[in-house]
Amino acid sequence: MSAVALAPPARRRRRLPAPLRRLKPWVGLVLLLALTVAFLLPILWMTTTSFQAGEKMFQLTTDWIPSVWHPENYPNALGRAPFPTFFFNSTVVSVIVMVGNVVFCTLAGYGLAKFRFPGDRWVLLAILCTLMLPLEVTLVPTFLVVYQFGWLNSYQGIAGPLIIEAFGIFLMRQSILSIPSDYIEAARIDGAGELRILWKIIVPQCRPALAVLAVFAFRDSWDQFLWPLTVVSVNEYRTFPLGLVAFGEDYGTPPTEQMSIAVLATIPVFLLFAVLQRWVNRGFGLSGLK
Amino acid sequence: MTDSVGDGGLAARGYSRPAGRPFWRLHFQRRITLWGIAFVAPALLFFAVFKFGPMIWAIELSFTSYDMVSAPTFVGLENYRKLAGDPVFLASLTNTLVYIAGSTVLITVVSLGLAMAINSQVPGARYCMMAMFLTNLMPIIAVCLVWRFLLHPFGLITQLLAPFGVDRVDWLTDSRTAMPAIIAVTTWRFAPYFMVVFLAGLLAIPRDYYEAAEIDGATARHRFVHVTLPLLMPTIFFVVVISALLSARIFLMPYIMTGGGPGNATRVLSMLIYETGFSYLKMGEAAAISVVLFAIMLVFTMGQMRLFMRGERVHG
Repeated sequence: MSAVALAPPARRRRRLPAPLRRLKPWVGLVLLLALTVAFLLPILWMTTTSFQAGEKMFQLTTDWIPSVWHPENYPNALGRAPFPTFFFNSTVVSVIVMVGNVVFCTLAGYGLAKFRFPGDRWVLLAILCTLMLPLEVTLVPTFLVVYQFGWLNSYQGIAGPLIIEAFGIFLMRQSILSIPSDYIEAARIDGAGELRILWKIIVPQCRPALAVLAVFAFRDSWDQFLWPLTVVSVNEYRTFPLGLVAFGEDYGTPPTEQMSIAVLATIPVFLLFAVLQRWVNRGFGLSGLK
Repeated sequence: MTDSVGDGGLAARGYSRPAGRPFWRLHFQRRITLWGIAFVAPALLFFAVFKFGPMIWAIELSFTSYDMVSAPTFVGLENYRKLAGDPVFLASLTNTLVYIAGSTVLITVVSLGLAMAINSQVPGARYCMMAMFLTNLMPIIAVCLVWRFLLHPFGLITQLLAPFGVDRVDWLTDSRTAMPAIIAVTTWRFAPYFMVVFLAGLLAIPRDYYEAAEIDGATARHRFVHVTLPLLMPTIFFVVVISALLSARIFLMPYIMTGGGPGNATRVLSMLIYETGFSYLKMGEAAAISVVLFAIMLVFTMGQMRLFMRGERVHG
């Protein structure tokens, strides 16, 4: 390492006195905890505020624990607009998007990782290019495409353009690349069909990547705002972010109730994360794909 | 039967069938190739319909005037000429670039800092990481609403800063602080994701390098500059490109938190695309703005693509 050789000549490291040295990991822990709390503070604030009385919002001291709990904020908020419908729509769309991504990204990732065909590198490059074509860029023509399909105000219209994301394909490809090809060859020699190989050999080994993909696909779809705003114009198909924004624009709706909806909207993503956490943890190492 | 017949140059790239392999073997090989194509085909078809098709259509539309009622009429470069003289477009373009630059730098620095803090062998660091990652899972709409209240002149941020003698600041309604505030919220939301990416990069650096550096007497700062940074370069590059692409498409944060204001201080291109296309039904002009936004994203991806292709050549 020539870079290290460039470092100045050895300096005696200042050593802390023994009692302080024993304290050192704890200092780090306290600092890290402070940082974590700082990051979590807004989530905490959202949760406590959702139980707060409406007029307490902007008092100059924040009651971290409400003096009087107002759980009725939740049913009140849900009753002010068809939020159950909005949440149902969001769930339908997000589940479609999640399943679509898991299935098609696995297929494409496998095809690109373990098969050679003419132009395979160009396919890879083309998929990389789609990272530059998010819905925000292609908003107008994608709307026209969906309009041509007659998909305005429908689940397939909201979910359609999100069914496959390049990110997922790269994630799955990266994960499948690390599976030894010998396994696949051996299975082929034993006469296993290609789909059977995919299901029995590939899928079980990339559970961590699949878990990461599922969480991210669900979250991204759950987060969509601009696209549903563009293709949906009736309450029947509105997703919750649209409802929540319209709700916030009504004067007279207490912000505390808005926070209740925000809490309810946060729960499904956290739940999915918690359920898949065992695998997500191991899959995290993969998300640094290039 | 020679290998090069109809195999699209596969033979030239080393996928030839070894000499003496029977004919059915080649057939077998070709069937596998077809399976590979079949696996990738759905994704390609999808991208053709929902990504490449629309992009080509956008370029086409950008040379027309189209309101969805009458057929598009060709107007040449008129849309672009109009944009070049439109102060709102120019302000949005500047804002988008400022936003991309600001949030990319801040996200990269903060997430690297967090990753190094997590990586510092502190007990319980893993749990801190998981906790921080939650900000990345919170729905963006909830993030925007919560931060709009926190940044309110009487909100929590003002309360927290009061003991330090900071007077009340109208974060979101002052044209000097609105954009920095949105950049800060963006960082809060996205840095924990890139922290995880950086952590993976840091864990991949062999410990021996640090031990060797320490034996040579390198201080912590030198270890960071001469060991960590160079070895982390590909990850840093990845984080910069991806966060730039993320920021280029930002819509919801300024839309909810400031509505593009005050004035046009936080109006970004994606907001302008939506307004022009769907509020004013000027599809051609909206398409022209899309093409500009695409050009910005293209610039940020070029480097990544070259790096990617180089990597493919080495490992692929």
